[in-house]
Amino acid sequence: MIETATESIDHRLISEFKAGSMEAMEKIVERYEQRIFTFGLKMCGHLQDAEDIAQETFLNAFRYLKDFREETQLKNWLFKIAATACIRKRRKKKCEPDHEISLESFIPHDGGDAKYDIPDWSEDPSDHLLRSELKKIIDAAIHTLSHKYRLVFTLRDIEGFSTEETADILGISTQSVKTRLHRARLFLREKISTAYKEGTVP
Amino acid sequence: MRDECKKDYERLSEYLDGELDDEACREIERHFRQCPECRECVDSMRKTIQLCKEAATEEIPIRARERLRSMLRECFSRTHDL
Repeated sequence: MIETATESIDHRLISEFKAGSMEAMEKIVERYEQRIFTFGLKMCGHLQDAEDIAQETFLNAFRYLKDFREETQLKNWLFKIAATACIRKRRKKKCEPDHEISLESFIPHDGGDAKYDIPDWSEDPSDHLLRSELKKIIDAAIHTLSHKYRLVFTLRDIEGFSTEETADILGISTQSVKTRLHRARLFLREKISTAYKEGTVP
Repeated sequence: MRDECKKDYERLSEYLDGELDDEACREIERHFRQCPECRECVDSMRKTIQLCKEAATEEIPIRARERLRSMLRECFSRTHDL
């Protein structure tokens, strides 16, 4: 298997860490903390929880890095640890069980209004306020997704993992990834479109 | 919703993710050309995914970064291999 530039840097840093380099440990953190933190925030919704997830992820990663297999991608391995941390945190908080999203509920009925008004994301700095309002709507919509759908959506559409990688990270079948992703996207489209139209946070 | 629309509605994500075979893609695109409702459906779905991705960036507070490093450094120094 051909190693990508990212994997090659990761493997070098892992070897240096195993040889006792604290600098290598910090470089690994530097490379992945933004993504792990974002993942924690998307999953838990609070800064403190996201920080806990990031700390637990890196602590466990460095504790078990000696068992890391070269054929594994460090990024995928870190997300596997982070996803487990999110699931554990949720269990500890004794949250309500996930509710299922039914496909039927999104199917437009004859004569019904199937128009979805999805805004564009502006990169123009003068649209700062508009962007911040829109981000509130999007984040709130993501947070109303049930946990198991949010996990799949965040890994696939925010982090860009493939269906197979997501299935591996979560220990579920590729078919479950596809089903949950499709329903999560339909759910978000509905929530974002409605909230945007009404100017309210879902 | 017509049966043909319903069938494509169910595999919309797989189509957007390039996970359908060529024959299924051709079939679904033929349908989109003839059905404005389904075309609007796939477009709004594509925009939803794009929007969520673009709005995903989060700021990590500097103090949180510092706390993470200081906790890891402390563990590293204590055990050397954690």
